[in-house]
Amino acid sequence: MHGLPGAFSANPHARRPGAWGWWLLAPMLAWLLLFVVAPMGILVAYSFGSRGMLGDVEFGFSWDSYARIADPIYLRIFARSIGYAALTTALCVLIGFPAAWFIARRGPGWRERLLLLVMIPFWTSFLIRTYAWIAILRSEGLLNAVLKSSGAVPHVFAEPLELLYTPAAVVIGLVYVYLPFVILPVYASAEKLDGVLIEAAHDLGAGPLRVFREVILPLTWPGVAAGMMLVFVPAIGMFAITDLLGGARVSMIGNVIQNQFTKALNFPFGAALGVVFTLLFVVSFALLQWLGRRKDETAKAR
Amino acid sequence: MIEFESVTKRFGSFTAVDAVSLHVREGEFLTLLGPSGCGKTTLLRMLSGFETPDSGAIRIAGEDVTALPPYRRNVNQVFQSYALFPHMSVRANIAFGLRMQKVPKAEAARRVAEVVELVALGGFEDRMPHQLSGGQRQRVALARALVPGPAVLLLDEPLSALDAKLRKQMQVELKRLQKRLGMTFVFVTHDQEEALTMSDRIAVMRGGRIEQLGTPTEIYHRPGSGFVAEFVGEANLLAAERVGGGAGEAVVVRLEGGLELRVAAAAWPGGAARARVSVRPEKVCVAKRPIEGAENVFQATITEEIFQGAFDHLVLRTDAGTVLTAVVPNESAIMEALHEGDRVWCGLHLDDIVVLGP
Amino acid sequence: MKTRSKLLLLGLAALCAVGSAFAQAKKRGELNLFAWSEYIPQAVLDGFTRETGIKVNYETYSSGEEMLAKMMARRARFDLIQPPDYIAEALIKNGQLTPIDREKLKNFGNLLPEFLNMPHDPEQQFTVPYMVGTVGIVVNTEKVKEPVRGYADLFAPKHAGRIVVVDDGRELATAALYTLGKGLNDFSKENLAAIRPVLAEWFKRVKLFDSDSPKTALLNGDVDLGLVWGGEAALLWKENKKFEYVLPAEGAHLFVDLLAIPRRARNVENAHLFIDYILRPEVSKLISDDFPYTNPNGAARKLLSPEQLANPASYPKTDRKLDTFRYLGEDVAEAIDKLVTDLKNAR
Repeated sequence: MHGLPGAFSANPHARRPGAWGWWLLAPMLAWLLLFVVAPMGILVAYSFGSRGMLGDVEFGFSWDSYARIADPIYLRIFARSIGYAALTTALCVLIGFPAAWFIARRGPGWRERLLLLVMIPFWTSFLIRTYAWIAILRSEGLLNAVLKSSGAVPHVFAEPLELLYTPAAVVIGLVYVYLPFVILPVYASAEKLDGVLIEAAHDLGAGPLRVFREVILPLTWPGVAAGMMLVFVPAIGMFAITDLLGGARVSMIGNVIQNQFTKALNFPFGAALGVVFTLLFVVSFALLQWLGRRKDETAKAR
Repeated sequence: MIEFESVTKRFGSFTAVDAVSLHVREGEFLTLLGPSGCGKTTLLRMLSGFETPDSGAIRIAGEDVTALPPYRRNVNQVFQSYALFPHMSVRANIAFGLRMQKVPKAEAARRVAEVVELVALGGFEDRMPHQLSGGQRQRVALARALVPGPAVLLLDEPLSALDAKLRKQMQVELKRLQKRLGMTFVFVTHDQEEALTMSDRIAVMRGGRIEQLGTPTEIYHRPGSGFVAEFVGEANLLAAERVGGGAGEAVVVRLEGGLELRVAAAAWPGGAARARVSVRPEKVCVAKRPIEGAENVFQATITEEIFQGAFDHLVLRTDAGTVLTAVVPNESAIMEALHEGDRVWCGLHLDDIVVLGP
Repeated sequence: MKTRSKLLLLGLAALCAVGSAFAQAKKRGELNLFAWSEYIPQAVLDGFTRETGIKVNYETYSSGEEMLAKMMARRARFDLIQPPDYIAEALIKNGQLTPIDREKLKNFGNLLPEFLNMPHDPEQQFTVPYMVGTVGIVVNTEKVKEPVRGYADLFAPKHAGRIVVVDDGRELATAALYTLGKGLNDFSKENLAAIRPVLAEWFKRVKLFDSDSPKTALLNGDVDLGLVWGGEAALLWKENKKFEYVLPAEGAHLFVDLLAIPRRARNVENAHLFIDYILRPEVSKLISDDFPYTNPNGAARKLLSPEQLANPASYPKTDRKLDTFRYLGEDVAEAIDKLVTDLKNAR
């Protein structure tokens, strides 16, 4: 019952939608058909085609593009993208969970103000915020200026911190961009958690760590899982941050796909990468669902 | 067993518990009774460890637990909202405490089975909390708190969410269970009837202090203050003025409104001229004929009659002008009927007039 | 049911209103322009609209291949495109361009003959030069004291971590061909294999790949050397004379960005009007002011200041004959992309 929230929780009391229910759903179904199913279909059709003149696609049925993905170059990039996304997800959860928990345990007034702070970044374009990070991380940027003036770095080693255009900068940028996507869903489930359950667990002899493992984590798991999906999935495909903060020195799978459409002019290969990429989402989604269900079952059984 | 020694707890400028000292005996059912905000819940939470006193000390079985976190105290609590873990089955909820104590699996299973039997939850072990009724959840919460074998069981208004009939039934069951286990129970409630039914002793609290500590009978029949008299059961609380020395063991007092009564001299505070007296409505004897054998006999008119099922609630206006309420059993075939507007005789025994001091 | 059909009618009415608004815009005349990002000053677009009443819809791209991909995907959308020389060559060979009607361009004579009849359009039938440029080396002479003459000096081990290069596989691969003494359009299998180790060495020393604005990192002091577009280098020199521009000793080439009309353009007349407008000396000067590449417009050059003409990145002094890129086919484009992708991830 505590897999992902929403449509996937099997509510035994749920009724079958009546005629009106379907009408209410219609706009969303149309939207899905138009902007998810149809493009996906085009992508699949492309991926089995072959490259024609001037970037044209000749439709057909050929596995060539998929065979190319097996090239170690691209497999390495897939692995690297997953690695970056996993690291980003882990850091986002490590930072975001305590933050969300802290906010959820404040009084209503503070809660609103703190949530607002979390959401303020959405008011500015993602690109502008990323450029701001360039200004912060540059060798003569804000971070180094602060470090220098605070005397945190001894002057003997007055070498500035070279962060910009490194993998570290990419991870910082990714974590920065995706952090709210962990905080908000975790907050939503943490806020619903009745504090008296924590007292009850303490009362029955559970120390802080046990309380976290036995009560807090299982009950906020829907939020954590949702947050992880919301970070992991787009982080794999992110390419703007690797270009801007990573100096385009490292290609992520998103960069490779982008290049097939804008540089190499190989639409079928780009489409095949996109299809594999989408399958990857489905697999990680299923994995998280399964993890959640298993957690539930062990909790129930104990 | 449990020792509160001059324990004080403040929240900001509000003093929730004000220098309370209290001794709870081994194996007794002690109830903290009082209106909301009286400090009873705070006192309990300091015992379970969720609050730390600002000053004073708390000892359980001789051990100072004042600074001990809740998970290191050998007490368990039944929460008002039950606080069942929604992601665990009934069995997992009950076994939780044993799992935290790392009790071997086989033993844990045996003890869980025992307590499931004790609270009559057999067959429900694999249900989830949301599949249970309120009463069943209450039993799970009770079982969960009992199974680790605490030195003291704390109960924070555990019956308040149940409907009236179930509550009555649970009161009796809880009391029976406590007697059978011989365990010390500290029970918090604002329901005086519940307190009277279940407790060995009651501590009536008001404004962060214990107003009176005693057995239910003492609390009911000999309330130490107007507050206790009114909070526990119903009472006619009246101002009284001494008007005569009376003969021997009685003094004569005039109540507000003018009715003069004879009161036990021993109960009247020394040379005081004024005091307040409390009379339980059911102690006022009402009849259509003159009443014999009572020290105080006077005539009155029934100005109001309120039917309450087994009892009739009468408002009486004495000829002298004092207004009293009385509770009488409802008429049966062999009893005379009393009705609004009837002229009646009233009788009141000397010892049933409680003098509360000035 | 009644309310539902009423709603439907309302919706249809709204759609019709929107549709007719579109139709009206069409009548007034418009020009769908597809051009490089940061290459046409807003003042030029505004001036054109003010004079002709033609609305300019401006879409941008950041690589020639991207332009090609988007243009081929939406054949009928664009009236005027701005392809680089080798992309234009491919479009011409595949019959994707409308011939230019020289009669309608009374300012065509302003163009210098050296930028006409080049290999990509030998008859000068389909294209009009917009701006010309080189790709060369920028050196921050305050930080780098030793002379830097070519790629070998630029990618010397001591400059590791201080270099920005354009994120353009073909440019980088061409530079590698030069260092091996090969022709700039000779991407045979053997040559592709030969440049691999060269590029691998270079990539280890690059701090940043950036095609969009390589000057930024140089200006900020994040890097001290660069292999950048001539126009970017010219802007740096304008900002601070410490930024020196060098045409690499091993070899350099010219790129010509062109204006051309796609085969299925709907507003061919407007496209011609726009090209002729751009060819006016005073308009062309405005472009040079903002984007100081080599201006192929002789009449416009006369309006430029001595300082602008002295900018070594805009008008490099060289006796060398600079060649241009040729279209080599999709297989080479893909091979280069794969090579670059592979090398970037090898580290």
